[in-house]
Amino acid sequence: MAIKSIQYNQHTFDISYEILNPQASVDIIILHGWLSNKELMKKSFAPYMDTFRHIYIDLPGFGKSTCSVALETKDYARIVELFMIHINASKDIILGHSFGGKVALLLDPKVLVLVGSSGIYIPKPFKIKAKIAIYKVFKIFGLAKLRSMFVAQDAKHLSEPMYQTFKNVVDEDLSDEFASYDGKALLCWGRDDTATPMSLALKIDELIKDSTLKIYDGDHYFFMNHSKEVSKEVENTFLKTLERK
Amino acid sequence: MKLIILFGGASFEHEISIVSAITLKEKLSGFDLTFIFCDQDHKFYLIDASMMRANTFSKAQHKKMPQLSITNGSFFQKNLFGTTQYGGSVLNLIHGADGEDGTIASVLDFFSIKYIGPRVDASIFSYDKRYTKYLCMAKKIKTLEYEVVSVKEHKNITTDYPMIIKPSRLGSSIGVSVVKDESELDYALDVAFEFDKYAIVEPFIDGVKEYNLAGFMADGEMHFSIVEEPQKNELLDFEKKYMDFSRSEQVLKADISLELENKLKNTFTKVYKDLFEGALIRCDFFVVEGEVYLNEINPIPGSMANYLFEDFKGSLEMLKNSLPTQKRAKVNYEYIHSISQAKGK
Repeated sequence: MAIKSIQYNQHTFDISYEILNPQASVDIIILHGWLSNKELMKKSFAPYMDTFRHIYIDLPGFGKSTCSVALETKDYARIVELFMIHINASKDIILGHSFGGKVALLLDPKVLVLVGSSGIYIPKPFKIKAKIAIYKVFKIFGLAKLRSMFVAQDAKHLSEPMYQTFKNVVDEDLSDEFASYDGKALLCWGRDDTATPMSLALKIDELIKDSTLKIYDGDHYFFMNHSKEVSKEVENTFLKTLERK
Repeated sequence: MKLIILFGGASFEHEISIVSAITLKEKLSGFDLTFIFCDQDHKFYLIDASMMRANTFSKAQHKKMPQLSITNGSFFQKNLFGTTQYGGSVLNLIHGADGEDGTIASVLDFFSIKYIGPRVDASIFSYDKRYTKYLCMAKKIKTLEYEVVSVKEHKNITTDYPMIIKPSRLGSSIGVSVVKDESELDYALDVAFEFDKYAIVEPFIDGVKEYNLAGFMADGEMHFSIVEEPQKNELLDFEKKYMDFSRSEQVLKADISLELENKLKNTFTKVYKDLFEGALIRCDFFVVEGEVYLNEINPIPGSMANYLFEDFKGSLEMLKNSLPTQKRAKVNYEYIHSISQAKGK
C-alpha cells in the first residue's frame, strides 16, 4: 500500500492506493463502492488480469483515504483524475462497483466496466419517504436524538462531511452522462441485486451506445464469487477495442 | 520465574506482537506467565493463558476478559471485593509504536514497574532510523551512507540505483522497497510515506553479507547470542518476516572467523553500553570488505530472538535479575521549610 497527497479545491486528500503488476503497460483502475474499500476489490481481482497494471484506490473518506469536506460525485472523479496524473496512469480501463461505477463513468475511460453500478435515480419507496417525513416532524419537536433509528444503513456512523456527501450522491441521476459516453462498456450485474437492481442495468445498457450486459448469480456483491469470469470478460472487452483499430 | 508479558499496542506491528507473545508462551513454558494485552485503544486486558491464540484477538474475544488498570507498582483489576494486583516485572513485547518508541517505557517508569525492554532514551535512538544514524555518528559506529526524504518536500535523491527505501520509524520490513530504477521510485516513496512522514534512502548492496546478533547486559557483563546469517532473497518481505516473528527453532551459528565475530560483538557493545541496559536487543549488521556496518537496532526483537540463544530461559532470568533501577528525586520540601522558617511563619 502507499499514500499520495492530492490537493483539490484548497483541501488535501491523502489517497491510499496499491499497485499490482507494476511492469504491465495497460492500466486498470479499480474503484470500490459506498462504504467499501480497495481491499475488498483487491481480494476479488488481484489474482486475475495479470497483463494489466492494477491500480486499487480508496476513494476519499473510505478505507484509508481521508476526506474532511463534503463532495459530489464529480469531485470524486476529479480527485481520482488528479491522482492518476500523479502516478502517470492512463484511462485504459476503469472498473467501478456501485458508487465507484458513477465515478468511473465521469472519468470517461476507453473501457468502462460497471459492476452493479449506481447512477440512475430510482424513486424512493413509500416506506422510506414516510420515514423521512416522520423524522422531520420529530426534529421539530427536538427529538433529533432518535436519528439513528431513521438514518439509512449506508449513512450510519458517517462523519458530518461524509453524511453531506452521502446526501449529495445518493439521488443523482447520470442518465445524460451514460447516454453521451462513447467508449466501450461492460456491465456486470448480480441477478438478485437489491441495492442497484437489474432494472438499473437494463436502463444503463439501453443508454450506452456500445455496451454488453452480463448477468451472474448473486446480489450486489456477486463479483466476489465471480471475479474470475468478470475478469475474463474485462480482458475480452479490452481486446475488442484493439481489433477495431 | 514470574513474568508479565505485555503485548499488542496501537501500532502497525500490533499483529506481529501477538505472534511474538504466542511464540514466547511456548518458549517459556514452566515460567509463571501473566499475559496482558494492550488493544488499539490503549485498554489493557488480562488474557487467560489458554486463550493465547491469534483468533482471540481478531475476533475481539479479549473484550470479554477482565480489563486492567495501572497504578504504582502494578497492574490491577477492580472487582466486587476490591482489587487484584498483577505486580512483578514486565516483559515489554509491544513491537513498533507504543512499545519501541518510548511510550510504554515512560508509562512503566512513571508507575515504577520494572520491565525488560528499552528505556525511553534507548527507544528514541533505535525507533527512528534517522536518530540511529546520529547515534552511530556520535559513537563512531559505521553505517551506510543515507539520505532523508520527507513527504512534505520532495528533493532530488542522489543515491545511485539500486537503492532501498524505508519508512524512518518502522521495523519488520513494513513499507520497505528495493528500487532498481527511476520508474519504481515514486511508488516506493508513497509506500514508505503511508507509514511515516520521513523515509531513509540507502544504497542497496546486492549480495551484501548480513549478520544478526542479539545480546544484553546482566551482572555488569555483556551476554551474547550466537551470530546468525539470516537467509534472504533480496529482502525479507512482510510475510517472511511475519513467519520470522514466530520462530522458535534454534538456528545454526554463522560460519565466520573468530576475528569477525569479535568485531561484531565489539560493535554491538558500543551500541548497547550506557543506553540499552535493561533490554535484550538484536542488532542487524552488514559486512562490507571486512568492515562492520550497523544496519538497524531492534530493541524488542521478534519473539525476543529466542532462537539465537542456547539457553533462552536462563538468559531472560539473568536479565530480569539485573534490571536497572531508576533514580527518582526525593521531595522533602527543605527549601519551602527553610523559607518559611526565615519568614518566621
